[in-house]
Amino acid sequence: MSENRTFINESQRIVACILDIGELLLTSGAEVMRVEDTITRLCDAYGFVSSDVLTILSSIILTATAADGDIITQTRRIKSRDTNLIRIERLNALSRRVTADPLPSDALSLAIEDAARVPTYARHWIFLAYGFNAAVFTLFFGGTMADFLPSFLAGLGVYIYLQIGGRFRMNSILLNTICSALMALSVVGMHALGFGQHPDKIVIGNIMLLIPGLALTTSLRDLINGDMLSAIIGFLEALLKALAIAIGAAAILTRFGG
Amino acid sequence: MLTNIIQTLTAALGAAGFGLLFNVHGKKLLWIAAGGGLGWLVYLLVEAMGGGLFWALFLATVTVVTLSEILSRVLKSPVILFLVPMLIPLVPGGGLYYMMDALIREDTGGFPAKLESVAIQVGAIASGLIVMTSIMGNFFTIYYRRKAQKQGK
Repeated sequence: MSENRTFINESQRIVACILDIGELLLTSGAEVMRVEDTITRLCDAYGFVSSDVLTILSSIILTATAADGDIITQTRRIKSRDTNLIRIERLNALSRRVTADPLPSDALSLAIEDAARVPTYARHWIFLAYGFNAAVFTLFFGGTMADFLPSFLAGLGVYIYLQIGGRFRMNSILLNTICSALMALSVVGMHALGFGQHPDKIVIGNIMLLIPGLALTTSLRDLINGDMLSAIIGFLEALLKALAIAIGAAAILTRFGG
Repeated sequence: MLTNIIQTLTAALGAAGFGLLFNVHGKKLLWIAAGGGLGWLVYLLVEAMGGGLFWALFLATVTVVTLSEILSRVLKSPVILFLVPMLIPLVPGGGLYYMMDALIREDTGGFPAKLESVAIQVGAIASGLIVMTSIMGNFFTIYYRRKAQKQGK
């Protein structure tokens, strides 16, 4: 969201707020359809005579015609997306509420800020969840109890690599591949110390942490909704990421044992 | 049998664990666990009845999509909030890994079969998702229209 904005009239402020909602939805991992639908409904609710919105994964463009004939176009460039399903839910609820009963722009922007500030789990819970998920999926894919703890530790490692890697401005496919390779290295290391029975199962459990499940699912849902462009971009990105992650881990494991 | 129980339980736990990573809170995590376990159970049942890999994953996906579409209407939350974590256990992480492993080992004999298996699995999930999402979308459109008509009268 852009800060310190000055607009000449209320219509422009409203359009900016509507785009804020759209941008937050898209960056939290919502489908393109949902973003366009929400923006259109909100524009209708605020009495714009017409509104045309185009959303792709990297941009939102909105042109709205106000009742007084003022034509407003604003664009947002979307650079990164993450996964925050609760934020989508709260913005969804907010837009339903606002559609029924439109708020003035200053109240709306406060409401948006409030909806965006979602309760998140404390970082140590997320940290532990990484380990837990990796260990659980190691069991799922046929690992034994001896693999549980090493997989848990490797999963904790993945969280740390992602946190550190996130500080560098790095392509996310590359970042995930490096994380996956580091994870495989730690598994190989633990195996060499006699820790863990099936390195491959441990690695697979940890790969599940990095697999872009949300991107794959939303891209298929975009496909159903007819947003071919977003569907193709999303699907290819997810597919490349999945392949890169698997190759990063497999390269280390085949080279250094397993 | 024991493997199947372990897999179903870990599928449920894993789905809920991913729900947690995606920042889902409270009772919805329990629903996600139930859905993740149920999806895998359907997979195992179809597989046991000789349905083959494609149909097992297809029907498991169909189950998960149906459940999450209904939950999303009942609990008034976006579908993907339930769908994405519930689908995670069906994702062929193992197949993907062994495929890349074969590629790097230059195991030219093993690679095509593994690639084929992953393609079947991804295809099954994708087609299950596409088919069932479309059906549920139309079903709810008609359902709500009927309901609105009844209330109008």
